[in-house]
Amino acid sequence: MKVNIANMANSKRLNLRFGLRSKLLLLSSFLFVIPWFGYQYVWEMEKYLRFGQEQTLVGTARALATALHEREKLFNNQASFLPNVEQGKDLYGYKLTEAVNLDGLANDWPDFNQRTHFYNQQQQLFANEPLSLNFKASVGKYNNYLYLFFQVVDNRVIFRGENTRSISNNDHLALSFSDANNKLNRFIISNKKAGWISAFALADDSAIPAPAPQIQGHWLPTPQGYNVELRVPLDNLGDNIAFAFYDVDKNNGEAVSAIGSADPSNEESLGTIVVPSPEIERIVKGMRYTNSSIWVVDQHHRVLASAGSLKSASGVWHAKEQQPKEEEKNSLWYQFKQQFLLPLYYKILTKPSTDFIDQLYDAQHLQGSHIVNALGGKATSQWRLTTDKKALVLSAAYPIFINNQVKGAVIVEETTNGIRSLRNRALEKLFTVILAIMSLGALTFILFASRISSRIRQLSNQAELAIDKQGRIIGQMQASNSNDEIGDLSRSFTTAVNRLSEYNHYLENMSARLSHELRTPIAVVKTSLDNLSLLENQQAQTDKSNNPYIERAQTGIKTLNLILTNMSEATRLEQMLSSTEKIDFDLQQVVKGCISGYQQIYPAMQFNLNIDVNTPKPSTFLMHGSPEHIVQLLDKVVSNSVEFSQDNIITIELKKSSNKHDAELLISNNGILLPEQLSESLFDSMVSLRDENQKTQDKQAVPHLGLGLYISRLICQFHQGSISAYNHQNPAGVTVHISLPTKV
Amino acid sequence: MSKRIAIVEDEAAIRENYADVLRSQGYQVQTYADRSSATQAFNLRLPNLVILDIGLNDEYDGGFVLCQQLRAKSATLPIIFLTARDNDFDTVSGLRIGADDYLTKDISLPHLTARISALFRRQEALKKPINDDHITRSGALTVDSQRMSIMWQNRSIDLTITEFWLVHALAKNPGHVKNRTQLMTDSKIYVDDSTITSHIKRIRKKFMQHDSSFDCIETVYGMGYRWLSANNIADDEG
Repeated sequence: MKVNIANMANSKRLNLRFGLRSKLLLLSSFLFVIPWFGYQYVWEMEKYLRFGQEQTLVGTARALATALHEREKLFNNQASFLPNVEQGKDLYGYKLTEAVNLDGLANDWPDFNQRTHFYNQQQQLFANEPLSLNFKASVGKYNNYLYLFFQVVDNRVIFRGENTRSISNNDHLALSFSDANNKLNRFIISNKKAGWISAFALADDSAIPAPAPQIQGHWLPTPQGYNVELRVPLDNLGDNIAFAFYDVDKNNGEAVSAIGSADPSNEESLGTIVVPSPEIERIVKGMRYTNSSIWVVDQHHRVLASAGSLKSASGVWHAKEQQPKEEEKNSLWYQFKQQFLLPLYYKILTKPSTDFIDQLYDAQHLQGSHIVNALGGKATSQWRLTTDKKALVLSAAYPIFINNQVKGAVIVEETTNGIRSLRNRALEKLFTVILAIMSLGALTFILFASRISSRIRQLSNQAELAIDKQGRIIGQMQASNSNDEIGDLSRSFTTAVNRLSEYNHYLENMSARLSHELRTPIAVVKTSLDNLSLLENQQAQTDKSNNPYIERAQTGIKTLNLILTNMSEATRLEQMLSSTEKIDFDLQQVVKGCISGYQQIYPAMQFNLNIDVNTPKPSTFLMHGSPEHIVQLLDKVVSNSVEFSQDNIITIELKKSSNKHDAELLISNNGILLPEQLSESLFDSMVSLRDENQKTQDKQAVPHLGLGLYISRLICQFHQGSISAYNHQNPAGVTVHISLPTKV
Repeated sequence: MSKRIAIVEDEAAIRENYADVLRSQGYQVQTYADRSSATQAFNLRLPNLVILDIGLNDEYDGGFVLCQQLRAKSATLPIIFLTARDNDFDTVSGLRIGADDYLTKDISLPHLTARISALFRRQEALKKPINDDHITRSGALTVDSQRMSIMWQNRSIDLTITEFWLVHALAKNPGHVKNRTQLMTDSKIYVDDSTITSHIKRIRKKFMQHDSSFDCIETVYGMGYRWLSANNIADDEG
């Protein structure tokens, strides 16, 4: 029994450490595999999307290239036929996105410093004196004008004299270009003062220069020299151009040196100019709806046309993010998503940046192995990171063939931002769904586990409550109606407990039943003996012999009868208790009366009654119950104590319990101690501690059935009290402790 | 003319033993083993006294049924239950349906015969005029030892022989505590303590039916019971 209890305690501790709930939670952690699979799946999807994007991009490049194949005219204009280009001489007109102000200041030229070319003695045309001149030049195209900007460093700036006819005896700019008909136009810009420029056209046949109002601009003196900013209408402009600055160091002097892109007076030596071609651009414009950034380059990597910007080129997969409707924005779910979920997701995910910087291409010149490959006649695509590594760019290049020769290439670029935001949205949804499934699943699991463990715990509590420490059935178990295994367990427990309780009941009633069954045969023997003794008596009167056997048999029958009466006492008591009415009485008075009675019954014993002197009122021990039965209880306990007493002193103590609700009665005798294993079951039916020695010493020869203390317990239970016995030391003995609730 | 006693008892040995001892006392005894034969005989002629067992063969309550039938025929016929059933419930039921006494089978034969003769004496006495010699009065209590009847405040209390002997024993010496053993001897029964307790309770109830303030039988815890006459109560209060 004790071992069992220890086992139960052990398993209970184990249960706490690793209960059903935690086991189920552990199992449910396999749910975490689902998001991982989802994540993998989305990654896989992204891979395929990228592959698709690559194909689409190559397709776009091919489509555009197809539109440009074999269209010589588009490229002839553009000096693309040159086998090579010479920096500074062959010029590139950058495409300006906004009109520039003709004020001589460079601040409205975008990226002026990167896009200028520096001219010094390497480009000098002649020098009669040591060079005191250099300049920077930048060329741009806006609308129908070619804009030129020159930043000239000159030690002495000589303007044209007020009354000077000559236009070349001062610092001046010579500008020559061929027109659409390949006819050379020559101009000289020669100012009398700073401000609007004065341009003169030089004609071959006439020596008199004529003003050229179509060339407009501004001449601005600077601390280092002067700036010239001017524009030429594009419809006059052919493919060739040259400009040169002539330096004059004294008033009305001859030019001492000149620096320029080429000799403006020599038609053969003129350099070329490339400006983004409006025709090609028109074709390319048709492709700008593809969400790509598109370039067309000539074989010198110079940009002929471009459309779209890489920042908005996020690919065909890019769908405009739908702005949520107003009511949707106000919904709790949206708020929750924005405030909690999305920040959480983006701890893992990265938002594609639209703020990246890509400096790989300058606007004039495109570099890259894919372009080299394309110009070599091979279509290629490549993945690369932007220079700040914030975005991944997909580039495809496709060659343009004219007369079986590669004359240029189409380059199409897109970022993967479209795919990435698509992936992010997919993952957002996936995460939301998974989060919902997992929290729902976990909740269900926890609820389920809690339900099961609480049911099992309830069952175990019930089982523990049904059987007390002594193994007595003290309550009925409620069978569960549920149809599952726990219900089965509960039902079989209930059946077991019920059967056990029936068996216990049978055992407890056994003595009563036995006594009832024995009563009739005993009555037969008894009446027969009585009759016999009557006959004997009549005979005895005649022959005066006395038969001692009848008397002995009668004594034996009497004892047998007494045993039977005692055996059924407990059952009769139970029946009586069930019909006993409770009345109010003073326990103190009952105890006092009983003790004085015992003193008479057991004259050899000394009874010491200690009633707690601290009790304030006589009504402290007022009880509601049956005083007769309390007396019976005292009778049983005291007679027990008397039998076991060795020094003939019985101490009875009556006091209030610490919680003030119970009266405590302690009856102690000094004598042999209770054996350990019996102290719990002492109050059970038919348990007796009297050993063989004592039985033989027992002078009264009253049979002991071990029912006395069982009856005591029945009476205590009837009064909602308790009874227990324990050993005390110095002097060694046994104390019976009775606790009865008082009426408060 | 000797009295006729009928014994209804299914156990032959006991039946014959009782019959023998009663015959030796000079009574005419008729014995019946079951209810049907007893009923037939009683329909012809009623005996002077009937001793009944409760359980008769298969009839668990056969004795009770028989008792009711007899009581219907005659209000004065003395009926004694002599049974193995010693529980309170059967005792109360037996007395309620009209038995004059309820005895368990462990009673000794002399005790049984003493009761039977007491019952006959009481019947005889009822026929005679009231003789003041046998009447003792103590406060509201009047005891007629010949008729074995008790009056409380001049009203008759219907008591069984056992109960009468108990009250008689207590009231004989008012103020003296009688312990249970003494009471058992006086009332010629041998039972356990709790049966005495329930006898006393029944007696109290019978008195209280007539006088709800009756409290003359006092329990002296641990010792027994005593009869308190008006003087004793006054003494206690004084």
